[in-house]
Amino acid sequence: MISSETLHVVTTELVVGAFSVAGLSFTLCLLLHLGILKQPSWTSVFDHVAHFTLAFGLVATPFAILSGLSSAPGEGLNSPILVNKMFLSMTGFGFALGCLISRWRLGGKVWSTTKSVVLHSSSGLAAVGSMLLTASAGGTFTRGESLLDIFHLPYEQVLLFPVLVSVIGLLLGATMLVLSWKRMNSSSTVH
Amino acid sequence: MKSRFHTVFVLSLLLTCSAFGAAEPGGNGDSIQDMQCGGACHGDASINETSSAILSLSSPETIYVGIPTTLTLTATNLETSSTRLIGLFLLTDTTGHSDTPQDAGWEVLSDANGGAVNYLEQTLTPGQNETSISWVIRASTLGSTTFYAAIHHGGGDSSPFFGTTATGFEVSVEPVPENLPRLAADFTPPTLRTLDSPTELNIQTQFTDSIQFEWKSEDGLISNALVNSTGDNSWRTTIPAALQPTTVQWRVILEGEGPEQTTPWFTLAAEESSWEVSENAVYLQAFALLFMIAGIVITLQIRFTSTSTPSKYDETPLILEELALTDAQPPSQELAPPPLPATGLPTDWTKAQWDAYGHDYLAGKYGGGQV
Repeated sequence: MISSETLHVVTTELVVGAFSVAGLSFTLCLLLHLGILKQPSWTSVFDHVAHFTLAFGLVATPFAILSGLSSAPGEGLNSPILVNKMFLSMTGFGFALGCLISRWRLGGKVWSTTKSVVLHSSSGLAAVGSMLLTASAGGTFTRGESLLDIFHLPYEQVLLFPVLVSVIGLLLGATMLVLSWKRMNSSSTVH
Repeated sequence: MKSRFHTVFVLSLLLTCSAFGAAEPGGNGDSIQDMQCGGACHGDASINETSSAILSLSSPETIYVGIPTTLTLTATNLETSSTRLIGLFLLTDTTGHSDTPQDAGWEVLSDANGGAVNYLEQTLTPGQNETSISWVIRASTLGSTTFYAAIHHGGGDSSPFFGTTATGFEVSVEPVPENLPRLAADFTPPTLRTLDSPTELNIQTQFTDSIQFEWKSEDGLISNALVNSTGDNSWRTTIPAALQPTTVQWRVILEGEGPEQTTPWFTLAAEESSWEVSENAVYLQAFALLFMIAGIVITLQIRFTSTSTPSKYDETPLILEELALTDAQPPSQELAPPPLPATGLPTDWTKAQWDAYGHDYLAGKYGGGQV
């Protein structure tokens, strides 16, 4: 039987590895579509690599979150770092989900305009950044140090909204998702 | 050639960085660990250098099964990195796998740092080159066990160091004499308490008529505490509150029909009360962040790509395409070439010019005109 600690190490390595490759690929996609990097043959390759690795990391993320919660010492969320890890990982999950759904439903049109290119690459990179920050917080929690300690990030401070604000945010987000989904479906019927 | 050189340079740099990052200078924290953390603390065991530390283990002469006893590790000739952090292992093997005391049927009841684990980290004071730490352990079976101690630490450069005891330290576990006053076999001493509140200890014993309770603070001052009997072989005492995160040690002297017994010193660490938060609020906010961010990203993405997305009712592209086709045709191609005048082609005109501009000539644009 694998302990939750070992399972957490395995899943976080999968998440961080996949998201790191996605981050590199999204950066190259951005440079290619903005014309800074002039290798048109790479465009399709890194487009596919970025989204595949992002999807792979996204699949592994819930396992990392759940194994992390069960492997943390003590009962439940007993440290501000754990709470920040939860917020950061769910934020990264949201960015990755938005990025992947956009690419799935809108297809290659996400690369059609400069604004769209910048937004799509930024959302992918934001997902990667959030996950790397989550991993950094994990290092601070277990070992007391992390590579990102040079930025003196306030992992001990928790920005906790009132429940009402969270509920409103949840409803707004769900509404936006439903409306966006309908709009994407209606536009796709043209084809 | 230049790009290959750059590639080799970058790869070499990355490989060099892996050596710098092999060890964990901040330590791993006290925990249950196999030797060298099973190879996980200092990266590859082959990159370790041999520590100059001299390690020796000691224990009481007689160890009874089921009765806690103290195992002390003394480390001398210590040389460390600038962090002065060392990690000390208590082991029952040196394979790096399943070699903790727990794996050999021993229970770690208390360690020097206020936990109950076999791997402890300690930060030495400047100039300190020796240290001594103890574990309180309890055997569950008779027989002999060979204990080992190991150390790892950093050094002057980035290399990690590792050392172990030269030989094993063998202890024999004997059957407990009849009527020997002792702690109950299932008694587990607490290792943690919270700040600012007195700690009530409930102690269970066997074959004990009375006990004395002693505790000492970090400065070594030993105090006694009043013990109340709460039943047969059941006792209760109270340790004063700690005002800051410190450790105290306590022991009991047991008296009964058998010879008087003194337990090992158990360590009790005081820590701040645990941080609390409403978990429902956290989970709710986490999912709100997820949905909000995903919704915003998709909404903006649709907005930014909509300029190139044709609407179901928008036929502008089709009309523009038709107009473009219309504009691309030369005007002269709309009409058939006019018949040649009876006098033949105008002076200096070619047949192609007539086909294209003959109508204009007949309309008088070039000085001619319909006759």
